[in-house]
Amino acid sequence: MNDALYGPLWLSLRVSAAATLLVIAAGAPLSFWAARTRMRARGLITGLLISPIVLPPTVLGIALLSILGRRGPLGMVLERLFGATVVFHWTGAAIAAACAAFPMFFLPAKGAFEGIDPALEDAARLLGRGERSVFFDVTLPLARRGLAAGAALAFLRALGDFGTTLMVAGDIPGRTRTAPLAIYAAWERRDLATATWLACATSVLAIAVLLVVERSTSTLLGSRR
Amino acid sequence: MSGLGVESRLERCADPAASGRVVLDASLTKHVHEGLTVDVALRVGVERVVVFGPSGAGKTTFLRLIAGLERPDSGRARLAGRVLCDVEAGLHAPLRSRGIGMIFQDDLLFPHLDVAANIAFGLRGGPRAAARERAREVAALCGVEALLRRRPASLSGGERQRVGLARALAPRPALLLCDEPFAALDWESRHVLIHRLRAAQERERVPLLHVTHDPAEAVLVGERLLRLDAGRVVADAAPLDALAAGRRPSLSHEHAFMNVFEATVETDAGGAFVARLAGGPTLHVPKADLRRGEALLVGVESDDIVLAAGPVAGLSARNLPTGRVERVVARGDEAEVIVTTGAARWIVSVVAAAVESLGLRAGVEVTMIVKARSCRILSREQTAASSNAGAMPHRQSPS
Repeated sequence: MNDALYGPLWLSLRVSAAATLLVIAAGAPLSFWAARTRMRARGLITGLLISPIVLPPTVLGIALLSILGRRGPLGMVLERLFGATVVFHWTGAAIAAACAAFPMFFLPAKGAFEGIDPALEDAARLLGRGERSVFFDVTLPLARRGLAAGAALAFLRALGDFGTTLMVAGDIPGRTRTAPLAIYAAWERRDLATATWLACATSVLAIAVLLVVERSTSTLLGSRR
Repeated sequence: MSGLGVESRLERCADPAASGRVVLDASLTKHVHEGLTVDVALRVGVERVVVFGPSGAGKTTFLRLIAGLERPDSGRARLAGRVLCDVEAGLHAPLRSRGIGMIFQDDLLFPHLDVAANIAFGLRGGPRAAARERAREVAALCGVEALLRRRPASLSGGERQRVGLARALAPRPALLLCDEPFAALDWESRHVLIHRLRAAQERERVPLLHVTHDPAEAVLVGERLLRLDAGRVVADAAPLDALAAGRRPSLSHEHAFMNVFEATVETDAGGAFVARLAGGPTLHVPKADLRRGEALLVGVESDDIVLAAGPVAGLSARNLPTGRVERVVARGDEAEVIVTTGAARWIVSVVAAAVESLGLRAGVEVTMIVKARSCRILSREQTAASSNAGAMPHRQSPS
């Protein structure tokens, strides 16, 4: 196996998958909260959560570095707890991609939760179900298409992340050089063959993920009926 | 004789406790908006109570207060010995422990579950086999056995409401609430559903509160009618009596009251179709390809009936049933006359002057003049039959 060709792809997959899991873990409860809360600060908090969409990736990168870096508040805690730094490490790339991709999951998920008729949940309660069961047997299954669509978009966004990853994790071949970084590096050294091959492979991967999700949820492209 | 029956019925309506145990005892108020404060006190036994009134009368709000979907401003309610709510004591039973089954106008079936799972939704806990048996039982009771593997999206409006009824009944609720479940359906589906609902209520011995603004539906469903206007009870009696008592404009959205009767086709030959009303006279009905023995729902508007106090002859109208005036409810220059023919009770609308000139009062014998064309066939048995057609096993030839 050629590491220059497959290494970055494999790393990208790993980073994007980890980023997607992070996004779902944080985004599912947050989007449910944002869809249901009547708190007045809801708009402000929602705005902050989707700010990665409007910020340039490099700005997001600087922000993350100042938090996660060795002198950043979270970075110091992590270093003390695990004796490890996330910057310049593939986990840093995953966190960076997760932050950039978060709104891609959050927005459709929030929309899916908002689209559920609360009367259906009342009907479930009247039939004797407690809040836990109402959420897992009614709310979540009804929102699943939106959640799946959001997860797919987040994965694709993470797969394509360049700026934020570069700022937080750097461009270390074999460790943090994901496919988009490898494409740029190859192009810089005029290795057009490698750049083109990686570009094609990444595109095929992205389209494949999109089609798989579309087939099971039929939400992103609206191909349903 | 029929007069006696009516009286005992009225008595029972005046005091539901007399007929048996009071299951629901509620006295609730809620300020909904400027001009509507719901303030209703009600005791219900095992009986079918229709909550009737124009839109905006607070019918649905009252139902939602009992269900716990809205909170009352004051008052208390008890169901089968347990407290549903007591505002002064700060008690509000959570929805899940109220023991109330409810069916809704927009059925609210769970779209991600098939019919079987919808029906079994309230049967969690307890032995599996018992739950399966109970689900089968209510599915049969509501006529949805053939639909068990279908998703709600693939069902007709009538089918959805039958599934909703089965789902609500499955956990054996102490009270069944129906919030205009048939409002969006045509008469054909409605007739089937009313039939199912009555049969199910009698089988399960569950008190029923049924909200509707349709007087015909109210008469068919109810044993007792609670008439609301602007949030308050204005009448609480047998359906026909409570309907006749109110102001005319709030009777219905239509101009007249529709008398509805269940009937059976007796003659289908010689160019005449004659139907016998349940416990009442026969009526010529308009020509249709009716079959002898077929069950019908016949409607006659109160404005389409002419009353005669003496003998009548030489009329083109085919139907001349005779009956006795039970009572006359005057309202301004109009009057509603309640006439009984056997067990069938009619509302006939006349002008106030006619009451005087014909000497209409309780006990007077009258002839009702009804054209065959005024007898509308609201629904036919074939609908009821075809809705169950799917239950027949599909025969498969061995290949």
